[in-house]
Amino acid sequence: MIDFLTRRFAAALVTLALATVVVFTVVEVLPGDPALVMLGTDARPDTLAALRAQYGFDQPLPVRYGRWIAGLASFDLGASHAYGTPVGKLIGDRLMVTLPLGALALSWALLVAIPLGVFAAWKHGGPGDWGVMGFAQIGLSVPNFWFGIVLVLLFAVTWQVFPAGGFPGWQEPLNALHALILPALSLSLGEIAILTRVTRSAMLDTLREDYVRTARAKGLSESRVLFGHALRNALIPVATVAGLIAGFLIAGAVIIESVFRLPGAGQLVYDSINNRDLVVIKNVVILFTLLVLLVNLLVDLAYVLLDPRPRVSA
Amino acid sequence: MNPFLVRARRHVAFQLGAVLLLLFVGTALVSLVWTPHPYDELQMRAKLLPSSSTYFLGTDHLGRDVLSRLMVGARTSIAVGLIAVALGMSAGVALGAWAAARGSWVDEALSRASDLIFAFPAVLIAILITSVLGASAQNAVLAIALFNVPVFARVTRGAALTLWGRDFIRAATAMGRGPFGITLHHVLPNIVSVLIVQATIQFAVAILAEAGLSYLGLGAQPPLPSWGRMLRDAQTYIFQAPELAIWPGLAIASVVLGLNMLGDGLRDLLDPRLRLLRVG
Repeated sequence: MIDFLTRRFAAALVTLALATVVVFTVVEVLPGDPALVMLGTDARPDTLAALRAQYGFDQPLPVRYGRWIAGLASFDLGASHAYGTPVGKLIGDRLMVTLPLGALALSWALLVAIPLGVFAAWKHGGPGDWGVMGFAQIGLSVPNFWFGIVLVLLFAVTWQVFPAGGFPGWQEPLNALHALILPALSLSLGEIAILTRVTRSAMLDTLREDYVRTARAKGLSESRVLFGHALRNALIPVATVAGLIAGFLIAGAVIIESVFRLPGAGQLVYDSINNRDLVVIKNVVILFTLLVLLVNLLVDLAYVLLDPRPRVSA
Repeated sequence: MNPFLVRARRHVAFQLGAVLLLLFVGTALVSLVWTPHPYDELQMRAKLLPSSSTYFLGTDHLGRDVLSRLMVGARTSIAVGLIAVALGMSAGVALGAWAAARGSWVDEALSRASDLIFAFPAVLIAILITSVLGASAQNAVLAIALFNVPVFARVTRGAALTLWGRDFIRAATAMGRGPFGITLHHVLPNIVSVLIVQATIQFAVAILAEAGLSYLGLGAQPPLPSWGRMLRDAQTYIFQAPELAIWPGLAIASVVLGLNMLGDGLRDLLDPRLRLLRVG
């Protein structure tokens, strides 16, 4: 068990290391002169030279890469070109919006999807099953940003019970939460669809098991059988997929934060592209990758907790 | 009649998906020769008009006909989705088949590489690429193609590996065929149905991704209409002309729904194991 977790941890570290190489190559090597990308082709030579000196773009590539990694390891990421503030603080502030948004969306998705999936498996083949699966099919097909716009149309424009966008900050916790509800709902739509499907198929598998028949035979109530016996074992694939989905949530945040004008990390990526702020882009992307890897490690840990059988390989 | 068609006639979801897809492709084809109005005709005095007999779905903030733009936008979606999936599929299938045929270090290296790409959220890859290369339909294609490569590589590798253990392939090896010949003549023909199903689903994913990228302004550039971009513009005028935000979204959702249903239907119809389950 410890062995399994150690191996997963090592694999995640290798992936992270490779990711830094890829990001560095895409952001700093491919464009030729990063200073030219950041300032545009009509920049004056002395401004270009000054920027190169400021960010060390005039150093050899291995030195630049080494400096960046050292900076990442010590959380000293340099200053943003567009904002003039330290990148670390900039990203940290933005995560205060994105992480609650993602957590809200994921919890809402699990809260809706697991009962729906259990219900569909319980009513397997009947109209209830068809209804749930049809809903899931639609949820997979509707772009989440359009769903967000429709929610704005209904709840902000027509009924005016939620704000159409913006974020008041956590100094007003209730208003902040209020502002995150529509974005979290839009972000969760696709995840609900996927998790419902996974829960249903995992439940269909476990409902065929002998121990479920035994539980029914000894006269347990249907809800005890469904939730106490079948669901507990069906949760392993659900946890796996929930972990994979965390990556989609982070990527989805880029678009959803743009729809609702939330000052989150996703919006920061978007703004940094428009500002050509390469320093911010490379660090945010690595941070997102790190988050995805962390969530997947947590899922591995959840495996061990949910399933006592030792695992040899993943 | 062909047994595939016989079963297809009983599969409602498959038929519904096929109809939606045909509608979508048909619209794109018609837009090549006819649209109600020129899609880029500006009519500043006719902006943000509601639906009427002249402008069937109204006009946008520059007085352009929404229906015409939707029709041409279907073309953008198809072109970007189709080329991206075709590129990603070619590279992915080749790599996956190679990994399955060679095994050992090739397999290991390719699996690690695909893990790496999966660790990046797809939209982030697209954003990284477009941020460096610039925003355009071509770069959106490139980005979407890139995240399709590991998807097809994994599916191909998995399906091919099970075949490599089968007797008819051992026989072909014994008869002296090389790994390339076996892959081409025995492995690929036997995994075509898996690839078709996957390609249908990936086409849907690609259309969603294209819409998302062009919503962010990272896809097809104006004056070329794209559904994502239309939604972005519509959102600015959501208080004056709310229906503008409905049509492009409905278009994306129905095409993606159609492709998803078609993909699921094809899996039911083509997958031999499922067929056996139904017989038994």
